[in-house]
Amino acid sequence: MSAVVDDIKKLRETLRDRGAEVRAPELPAAERIARVKATFRRKLDAEMATYLETCLHCGMCAEVCHFYEATGEGKYTPIYKVDPLRRFYRREIAPMGWLRQLIMRDINADDLDEWQKLTYDACTQCGRCDMICPMGIHITPMIAVMREALAEAGMQPAENKALAKEVLEKGTLLGIGPEDYRRIAAELKAEGIDVPLDKPKAQVVMLMSAMDAVLFKSAIAATAKIMNKLGLDWTIRTNAGDAAVFDWTSGDERAKAAAIRKIVSETVAAGAKTLIVPECGHGYAAMRWDGANVIGTDLPFEVLAIAEFVGREIEAGRLKVKALPPGKSVTYHDPCKIGRWSGVFDEPRNALKAIGVEVREMESHAKTNYCCGGGGGLVLNERANALRQGAFDIKRREADATGAGSIVTACGHCRMTFVAGAQNTNWQKPIESLVELVAANLA
Amino acid sequence: MTLLEFARGPGLQWSLAIFALGVLWRLVGSFLLARKRDRSKAAGTSYVKAGLRAMIMRSAPPHELEKNIQFQHYSGYAWHLGFFATLLLFGPHIPFFKQFLGFGWPALPNTVVLVIAGITLAILIALVVRRIVHPVMKQISSTDDWISVFLVILPFVTGFASYAHLQIGEIRYEDLLAAHILSVEAMLVWFPFSKLMHMFYAFPARFQVGVAMEHKGVKA
Repeated sequence: MSAVVDDIKKLRETLRDRGAEVRAPELPAAERIARVKATFRRKLDAEMATYLETCLHCGMCAEVCHFYEATGEGKYTPIYKVDPLRRFYRREIAPMGWLRQLIMRDINADDLDEWQKLTYDACTQCGRCDMICPMGIHITPMIAVMREALAEAGMQPAENKALAKEVLEKGTLLGIGPEDYRRIAAELKAEGIDVPLDKPKAQVVMLMSAMDAVLFKSAIAATAKIMNKLGLDWTIRTNAGDAAVFDWTSGDERAKAAAIRKIVSETVAAGAKTLIVPECGHGYAAMRWDGANVIGTDLPFEVLAIAEFVGREIEAGRLKVKALPPGKSVTYHDPCKIGRWSGVFDEPRNALKAIGVEVREMESHAKTNYCCGGGGGLVLNERANALRQGAFDIKRREADATGAGSIVTACGHCRMTFVAGAQNTNWQKPIESLVELVAANLA
Repeated sequence: MTLLEFARGPGLQWSLAIFALGVLWRLVGSFLLARKRDRSKAAGTSYVKAGLRAMIMRSAPPHELEKNIQFQHYSGYAWHLGFFATLLLFGPHIPFFKQFLGFGWPALPNTVVLVIAGITLAILIALVVRRIVHPVMKQISSTDDWISVFLVILPFVTGFASYAHLQIGEIRYEDLLAAHILSVEAMLVWFPFSKLMHMFYAFPARFQVGVAMEHKGVKA
């Protein structure tokens, strides 16, 4: 585990250094404000307006947010994190806005500086707050708008800028691209695991994740084993780019669209009916919920998370697994973007049960699950280290309370957060990958 | 025209007109904004059912979410129930509604309503104190919150004063009654400009979030 922790540390340092290189000169304050407002105007619709009209300032959303729970600081109240959007809506879009302009001040440059920290460092876009609001306010999409507006004003954290620049200019992520895919495929081939690259046509296209390539190559091997065991006509297209679609969460809409278009175009070119996203929550949510919206037409293929796919194949009896001897207990951590964002709760649990594992649920699980603390890009954000650790501690306490022998998850981002968090707190709980656990127990 | 005559006549008419037109203006102005089309393939199937479910289920969050918010949650329900019980079931209020609607309904005994009103007022005051001292509430409270809670509390205070026929200096009972009616009218005038509009927005918002979650295959 310590090798992985060192790799994570190196990854963060590399990103920090690259961020320093791309730190563009700041736009003048008036231009930043204008860009933020233009994005707000473009994104606000009747649905969001209803949410912004409805807030009672009851503060309940704070009580389920891990950042408020960890710090007790009111500024981490989820709805407060979208206050500039609310202010803009109320002054410039809402009915009676002209009246409010007389008494409500406008957004200023100081607001943007303050909310840049609140939206990027203190929100994992986990969506737990969306589950509690008694008014039914859907806060997370508004956080996404905040990030998109700030990114448009050049105000995303330097690490994010570096990643977006890399995606747009090189088409790689964290320096991982087609050459690395080929290298990994060759390494796995040497281990007897076939990873078919760039088949002209295939029924299933699988994506590659830079996070896995750098930290968890075992997850790639496990995925390939399962695909081969099923006898699927599958391939990884080296030009499809990375599964993570990191800019779906960073707010850089150009980089997000570029990444999604590449994946869609390669999947369509392969004539695939199914696109499988490896253990990457953001990548899955980006393709599942934003893919069609970015390209402006329905996707001609189904998008599945590997956890969802594996669970379905086991349930359907197509993927045969052997049961472990009794005695292994785990607790399953729902990656927010796969669980609460996408409704994939049962499939991974059914897969675990099929291999004879006792699943002990945390008090907050499935749709009320606590985020690991690293979602929304926080895992790579050094500035957010203390906040992330505070959120992680809440997760750790719930996991410990189950008494389970290990934690299983289905997202490289979560896995990385758990591994680093465990190292920081000298926590001995093993962190396992769902796909690896299944692959190790194929019948 | 006495103050009471004003309160019962033009004051009431104008406040009701501002309330009705203001509410309509605000609802229409927000609901008629464009709606974005979501092209992603739905995971769920029954949007209407999910929306209706959320309209009800948002009243009772799962235990693991509710455990930190029990005071706000239950006090919120309690004072709303107390408010409407006092408004609609207090004997002296019913003739007022009958005059508009043409029919009335049985009242609760005055003593019962006074107890309910007293508890409601106490909860509202507790919530004001909480808004002053709690780190979250301090951070997020706005002028709207303060004016709204003041205008909700005021009818209770003036109502108690007029029911008790309090002698405050030269102020007559009629003036206290006028103040009570005017306090309600002030709330009606403030209503469309404030967060009190949640009365009309809450259920559409709950419906929306139910639909949005159903689209993603999540029951919430």
